[in-house]
Amino acid sequence: MSDFKVNHRDGEGFSVLELKGYLDAHTAPDLETTFQKLLTDKKYNIIVNCKDLTYISSAGLGVFMAYIEDVRKNRGDIKLTNMSPKVYNVFDLLGFPVLYEIYRDEHEAANKFRQQSKKG
Amino acid sequence: MKRPRVSQGVSVAKAAQSLPPKLSEDLLPLFEFSNVVNAAHDLKFILGTVLLTVMGKMLVARGAVLLKRERDTFEVVAARGLGSGIEGSSVTLQTLPKIIRDPAKETKGRSRNKWFLSHDIRLLVPILSNSSVVGYLALGGRVGRKPFSAPDRKLITSLVNLSAAAVEKAVMVERLKEAHRSLDRKLQELKTLFELSKEFNLVLNADKVIRLLTFSLLGQIGVNRYAVCLVDGGTIKIVASRLSDDPALLRALQDFCDLKNPMLIREIDKKLARSAAPLKEAGVQLMIPMHVQNRTKGVILLGEKLGGSEYSKEDLEFLYSLANLAIISIENARLFQETLEKQRLEDELKIAREIQQGLLPQTLPAIGGYDLAAANVSSKQVGGDYYDVIRRSDTEYVIAIGDVSGKGTPAALLMASIQAALRALVPLLHDLPEATGRMNDLACENTGGDTFITFFWGIIDTARHQLRYVNAGHNPPFLIRKDGSVIRLQKGGLILGMMKTKRPYEEGEVELKAGDLLFLFTDGVSEAMNARGEDFTEERLESILKSVGGSPAREILQHVRMHVQEFSKGTQQSDDITMLVVNVG
Repeated sequence: MSDFKVNHRDGEGFSVLELKGYLDAHTAPDLETTFQKLLTDKKYNIIVNCKDLTYISSAGLGVFMAYIEDVRKNRGDIKLTNMSPKVYNVFDLLGFPVLYEIYRDEHEAANKFRQQSKKG
Repeated sequence: MKRPRVSQGVSVAKAAQSLPPKLSEDLLPLFEFSNVVNAAHDLKFILGTVLLTVMGKMLVARGAVLLKRERDTFEVVAARGLGSGIEGSSVTLQTLPKIIRDPAKETKGRSRNKWFLSHDIRLLVPILSNSSVVGYLALGGRVGRKPFSAPDRKLITSLVNLSAAAVEKAVMVERLKEAHRSLDRKLQELKTLFELSKEFNLVLNADKVIRLLTFSLLGQIGVNRYAVCLVDGGTIKIVASRLSDDPALLRALQDFCDLKNPMLIREIDKKLARSAAPLKEAGVQLMIPMHVQNRTKGVILLGEKLGGSEYSKEDLEFLYSLANLAIISIENARLFQETLEKQRLEDELKIAREIQQGLLPQTLPAIGGYDLAAANVSSKQVGGDYYDVIRRSDTEYVIAIGDVSGKGTPAALLMASIQAALRALVPLLHDLPEATGRMNDLACENTGGDTFITFFWGIIDTARHQLRYVNAGHNPPFLIRKDGSVIRLQKGGLILGMMKTKRPYEEGEVELKAGDLLFLFTDGVSEAMNARGEDFTEERLESILKSVGGSPAREILQHVRMHVQEFSKGTQQSDDITMLVVNVG
């Protein structure tokens, strides 16, 4: 079975999900559970760090799609960081960069959240 | 290729040689220009360089490069001084002559182009590759209104020609990139299908299959409005949805229960347009049927694609494959659940049957001078039939028969509690109606008033040759005298379990004579059905009993059973059949 792990930690004003391994149809429900928990806890500023994400399939992307609306409705966002070219390619192929903000690292994404909270 | 190839250098030198001597001062920059341009693969960069070089040399403040995309559609790939946002726009041009001065004015008729007019284009130079036009360099007027002289035009043409090969190469690279990307996408689609087929096979839960299906739709197509509907027995129901829950939507869907092919709402034919109106209103753009062996088992509704682009033929193919893959797993999961459920019911019935069989006496006590036989044939469903014969003293025997409404384990358990009560009461029994009242109260407490028990019991007194009994709503047993006269044992009261005892039960008493036949039975006998849906009836039972009077109890039992079986041939036994025969000695 493919291996996938989500590690969740909280920063100042945002939550970070570190994804590791294969995110596919088999493991997508794990990520879904994590998102559900974040939403239940009203944590809507979410940074997804893809540093150790080796593979993502459309089912994996589907999880992001399934939650982005709810998150944004609550004035939050899902921002993605540290994507490997391979993972980015899948995002790009399916046209996702128009929908999600993608940053080089967590620091950039966190800054963006800070700016947005000042404005908002 | 980081460095220009030597052969290109040579061709540039050749090109330079062919220029008029007046232009020799331009040779060095031309060479440099050629090197830069030929080393690059990026079309925008190349064309931008060409444009800027020409604009700089000719002192032109406005200019653009148009590149042929289709027959007469050109894209503005580079532009300077023409306002922002113009790059990327497309222009329709008829094929134009080789070099055009003041194209806004000079070209006539169809060639006269608004685009040139509105941008005040004064010179148009074709970019040629293998002597066919691949694009145009378009220039506005020169600073100081100086006209483009013949040598100027020649220089511009040379510059453009020098870049033509590079442009063509870059176009090829661009096309290759596009082809590569489209292959990548196809590969991604195949990967998705492969991954899901693997995963679907592992999942035996329809809800989970549907969840994975929606994730893949969301991820692969990027829709955020969708619904998955399943067709069951001619009606369609929505099982997962991100559309409005307008009931009109569900009603509209009924017309698409046997959708045969993927259907774009905008291409729907007039006949169905009315039905599809609520779908359109809900933002549905596409419907994909889910087929199992050519039968529509479901429909996927999809809203707008990510980025608002239209669904392509490839999208439809992919989605149709995905839909069919999913529905097979959904069907399999459903069948698996059904099998499980059936297995569970069967297990439950097996338990019920075991309880019931455990309640029935293994052997009947011998009653001096009497001949007894009993049988219970339980149906597949297992009703709650029960009979018993209990010795109270040398001369007193309790006989009982009962039938619980309902079937399966609950019926069997209730009967077990009645049996327990009965067995507990028998040794203390002196007042049959009073004891029946207590059993009724107990049954009421146990059932909460929604389950009933028809019950008959009595005490055979062999010394006094009599039977005292109470019938609580049970099919009245037959007492058939030797002379053929028939007495039905009806006295008693309400069915057990309906309401607490208010009026005491009545006791019946009959004399028992040698040669009498006492026959207790449940409605499984009298209501056994034939293939035409008719009941066996108590009348038929009575006439059979009359005809077998005097036979041994076991034979009578077998005889009745045979008749019932014969009668209900070709149908499934729907209720337990229970009989108790007593030949009075």
